[in-house]
This record gives sequence, structure tokens and C-alpha cells, in this order.
Amino acid sequence: MTPNQCPDLEVLFTELEAGEGSALDHAATCALCSAVLEDHRQLEKDLYRLADPLPPPTLVANVMARVATEPTPLRRELWAGIPILVASLGVGLGLLITNDQALSQLGAALAALVMDGKGLLQGLASGANALWSTAAGPVAAILIILLIVSLSGLKRLVGDGPNPSQA
Amino acid sequence: MAEEAPTLPWKADVLAARRGDPNAFEALVRSVQRAVYGLALRLLNSEAEAAEVSQEAFLRAYQNLHRYDESRPFDLWVMAITRNLCLDLLRRRTKMRTEELEPMKEVLPSGEISLEDGAIARQERQSLEEAMTTLSAEDREVLALYYVQKRTTKEIAQILGCAPGTIMARLFRAREKLRKKMTTEEPT
Repeated sequence: MTPNQCPDLEVLFTELEAGEGSALDHAATCALCSAVLEDHRQLEKDLYRLADPLPPPTLVANVMARVATEPTPLRRELWAGIPILVASLGVGLGLLITNDQALSQLGAALAALVMDGKGLLQGLASGANALWSTAAGPVAAILIILLIVSLSGLKRLVGDGPNPSQA
Repeated sequence: MAEEAPTLPWKADVLAARRGDPNAFEALVRSVQRAVYGLALRLLNSEAEAAEVSQEAFLRAYQNLHRYDESRPFDLWVMAITRNLCLDLLRRRTKMRTEELEPMKEVLPSGEISLEDGAIARQERQSLEEAMTTLSAEDREVLALYYVQKRTTKEIAQILGCAPGTIMARLFRAREKLRKKMTTEEPT
């Protein structure tokens, strides 16, 4: 910007917000830019005098009447979750009942679990013993803590979900 | 235009409202109703629609209270909801291409105007309001939020979901359009 060249208005007003800058220095000595700034100040003064209108006196009552018909926000979560859970269980059970092969596989798996129960318990006991004796316990504890922290973080993220109006 | 308050005055009411306390939610509504209704009226230029949208915005806020992050200003959250509802309505209105916008001077309560006793005359203020109604909804909202509601560019950016720098540029453009409108209106 040469001394005789007037700055871009956007630059001038940005510097006016900041309170300093070469464009403002120029405006101090330029009659044209000074007039623009004076116009701007007058317009801002007028704009600042505008006020928000008062809402209708019935607005709060109308809102509360509609809110009264709504479930409590925390219960809403529960009511939304229960149908999903019931529907999932229903679909799963329906598939099992209508499919002989799947049902027989499930029965066989349950029988095998009962038969192998003893072996499973022995395996778990020896696994715990190995953790205890090889100092792997602390590592397992850290992993569990990490898992809990990660799940808490995920829950927090889900809680801060998208703006409802954008949903 | 103060910076973000260090305390969270709405937090207790939000927590109580989540548990189903209607008085707490009513307190929240009362604290932000003027700003919410004002924004809706500036965007829609219709008292009836602004009241309807404000009600809907508060209802949606209540329904989604569990999603609200109480560390952020409650008023900005509700205003973002209001704005989105208004924009939806404006889009539908544009599709329908119904009636012309009525001048803002007719939708402003007369008592509100007569109480003003500033340096500018009532007529000048009305012409400013009229000039504002000729601007686009985008221009009106940024001017109303900045000058009428005295929001910071950071707060406006939160409501509109963009960068504060964008708000500065939008403010500049809107102000320039308004200035030109005012200049062309002056001789008549």
C-alpha cells in the first residue's frame, strides 16, 4: 500500500477492530478513509441501539405445556433402549426357533459346555495361577484399567453426540 | 461483550431438568427466551412463526438434554437449535415462494420502540430496521447476533458452526450491504 493508495475496506475495518495497523495510520491522514470510518462508526452506533423484541408473554407457558407431555430426558434414553434390546432378542430367538440346524447346534454347544465345565474351571484356575506366579498380574491389571478408561472415554463421546437439531 | 463466564450458572438447572424437575427447565427457558425469540424473529420476520419455532427449539432442547455438554453455554446451544429450525423453515418457505416479508417495524412491539430514548430518532431506527429486513437471512442473523445481542465473534461462531474469522468477514459484508441500503434510502 503506497501512501496515496487507500486500503481495502475489509482490511481497514479489521484493523479498526484490532486498534492498530498501517491502514488505520493511512486513514488518519486521508480525508476519504476518515469519512468512511466516520460513516462506519455512525452505523455501528445505530445498530448497537437496536434491541431484541420481547417474546410473547405466553411463550414460557406454551413451552412448559408441551414439555409436560414429554417423558423425563433420562427416562427417554431408557425407553429408547428397551425396545431395541427386546427387538434384538426377539430376532435372535426367532432365528433360532425357525432354524432347526441352528437350534441343534446351540443345544450341542450347551451340552459340550456342561461336559467341558470341569475342564474349563481347571483351565481358568491354572491360568490365574500362572498370572500370579509369573508376575503377569500387574500387567493384566493395567490392561483392565486401560480397557475401563477407554470405555469411559467412549461413553463420554457418545454422551456429547451431535447437535440434536443436526441429528 | 464479555468473555466466557468462569462459572456455569445453568449447570445446576440443567442437571435438575434432566432428572425431570420442570421448575429447573422453566428457569432455563426464561433465561434465554428473549435471545431465542429475537434470533427467530430476525431470521423469519414473522411473529407467529418465531413464537412457534422458539417453542419447538425449547422442546427439542428438553428432549435432547442428555446430549448437551453442560460445560458449554446453554444459551448458545439452544440458539444453534433455533437457528437450524429457522433455516429449515426458510428453505421450505423458499420452495413454496409464498408471500413477501413484512417490514420489521410492524413486527416489533410498539412499546419497545417508544421506550428507546437514544440519540437517533425513532424514524431513523425504523428505517434501519426496514433496511435490515431487505438483507438476506444470513446477513440479518450475523448483524442481530453481533449488534443486537452483543455476542462476541467467538460466540457467534459457536452458534453458526464456523470460524470466528468467517464471522468477521460476514459482518463486514453484511454491514456494507446495510450501509448501501441506508445510503440509497436517504434521498427519499
